Amino acid sequence: MARVRLDRLSKRFGAVPVLDDISLDIAAGEFVAFLGPSGCGKSTLLRMIAGLESVDAGQIHIGDRRVDQLPPGGRGVAMVFQHYALYPHMTIFENMAFGLRNAKVAKAEIEARVAEAARILEIERFLPSKPGQLSGGQRQRVAIGRAIVKKPDLFLFDEPLSNLDAALRLRTRLELAQLRRRLDATMILVTHDQVEAMTLADRIVVMSDRRIQQIGTPMEIYARPANRFVATFVGSPPMAFLDVTLNVGADGLARAALADGAGVQTAMPLADLPSSPTWRLGVRPEAAKVVAPGTGLVDAKIAFVERLGDRTLVHLRLADGGALTAEDAGTSRAAMDDIVGLAIDGPVHLFDAEDNAHHPRAPT
Amino acid sequence: MSGSAQPVGRSPWEARAGFAVMVVLALIMVLPLLWTLGLSLKANNELLRDTGSVFHGPYTLENYGSILRRAAVFRWLGNSLLVSLCTTLGVLTLSSLAGYGFARLEFPGRRWLFALVLFGLAVPEQSVIITRHQMFSALHLHNTYPGLFLPGLSAPFGVFLMTQYFKAIPVELDEAALLDGASRLRVFWSVLLPLTLPAQATLGIFTFLSSWNDYWWPLISATRSEMFTLTVGVASSQINFAQTSGLGFLMAQAVFASAPILAVYVVFQKYIVRAVSGAAVR
Repeated sequence: MARVRLDRLSKRFGAVPVLDDISLDIAAGEFVAFLGPSGCGKSTLLRMIAGLESVDAGQIHIGDRRVDQLPPGGRGVAMVFQHYALYPHMTIFENMAFGLRNAKVAKAEIEARVAEAARILEIERFLPSKPGQLSGGQRQRVAIGRAIVKKPDLFLFDEPLSNLDAALRLRTRLELAQLRRRLDATMILVTHDQVEAMTLADRIVVMSDRRIQQIGTPMEIYARPANRFVATFVGSPPMAFLDVTLNVGADGLARAALADGAGVQTAMPLADLPSSPTWRLGVRPEAAKVVAPGTGLVDAKIAFVERLGDRTLVHLRLADGGALTAEDAGTSRAAMDDIVGLAIDGPVHLFDAEDNAHHPRAPT
Repeated sequence: MSGSAQPVGRSPWEARAGFAVMVVLALIMVLPLLWTLGLSLKANNELLRDTGSVFHGPYTLENYGSILRRAAVFRWLGNSLLVSLCTTLGVLTLSSLAGYGFARLEFPGRRWLFALVLFGLAVPEQSVIITRHQMFSALHLHNTYPGLFLPGLSAPFGVFLMTQYFKAIPVELDEAALLDGASRLRVFWSVLLPLTLPAQATLGIFTFLSSWNDYWWPLISATRSEMFTLTVGVASSQINFAQTSGLGFLMAQAVFASAPILAVYVVFQKYIVRAVSGAAVR
């Protein structure tokens, strides 16, 4: 396991910039997820670390070595590809042994390492088979096994679960988490699935528009998003935003007033906030509750109801046109076109005109 | 699929009628071959009187015996085999390397060079034959084995086929192998080339057949009898028809010349069918 340091990395494809001034420090043994929408540059960044894409500017260090000028095979990394990339004409054993043979590892050592990885991943009985004889989940295990046997300094996972069906994805995710604990290695996962990132990673790097938007632990990213993009991208259903004006409330804290004058008390001291021509109040569904009409902050009309069993998501339309999703009990009797009251019962977030988020100081 | 399976939407009578038509067409196709085979099994003096005697005995292997007693025929057979094998190996090697290069490597002018190769498909052999003849003459390559097989190595179709096949292989396999510490050569040799075997088989078979059947260039390049290929040698016997040992002997030579090709068809018919149905490039 090794520390990974990315220093001011930039990349262009022809005239199109793909990554812009990316810097990141990953501790030895840390599991980091690159999370972002398609086209944000996360896979390109992973491929640059692997050596499959050249670096236009900046440096990559793995351990004590600068590796951005080294070929992929010389960087001490192993990668699990989205589509497995197993060699179809080789047996599973040969697939797993291929890298070790290239590294001139002794035959007995190769057999021992492959056997150990196969035992861990429970794929021993497939060793004489060809990849075409295996299911998607089994192939994914082999791809992981091929990475494990190399004992790399750094594991790279490029959307490894996206080709699996929902049930298998859940199982493989759990297995990946257990494997991580067992291997105690530095790992980078690229995904557009926030659940994967939240459940597997120590830290999440949220990327968009060629840049890192925020780096933090899963709960930091969720509870204290750096900007409106992160707040929207992380969390399902996404955070809703209401146009508000700010005035001073109790204890000097900012009070966010909706268009009809109803106000929400925030935990932010008004004095700590910068001046901004406009403000938005960010509300996650679990902070919004459905109550009887006239008893909440404002009244709203139910636009749609999603029953999820253990809870109900109620999509509300406010009188000023604003939209918001509230969470209700699984046994909720909310129905479309009903008029209900909206109560805010949980943390809210403030976003200035440039979409930057403002949070109360974190407790020390 | 079992032999009794009916195509969807067709009645049994339609299927039977279709089968009968196919049988008739197959007989029409095979009739000249049977005719040749029949004539080759008849005595020459009998055929001089009436070729209709092919439909009844007696039959004889005397014509084949005559071939085996002629040393030149074996020389021509050997020449054909050598030239066809050299052409096939050369085309497979060059087409694979060029196909890999065009499909996987980035270099200046790649697209223009590939377009130039494709343009070669549109150039008829007849238009370059005089120039080629002069060039080979100047290089003293006529009446040599390289002179017979070198022109066949220019195979734009082979380059095109292999390029398309390499392009169809996911580039992630190259990347996985590079991450596994393989060199470019090892990626090509150990990972990609084995995956192109169906295309190699198709290209190899067609190149071999085409080279074996080639008549025009060996006719120009090989002027000495000992350098004739089988096609030219057999034809030279037919041109001197009046001096030949007769029709039965000529037909036996034709069967003898076709036998290796028929063997290739029989052994590799799976690949040939896949190739002509377009399955090989998928």
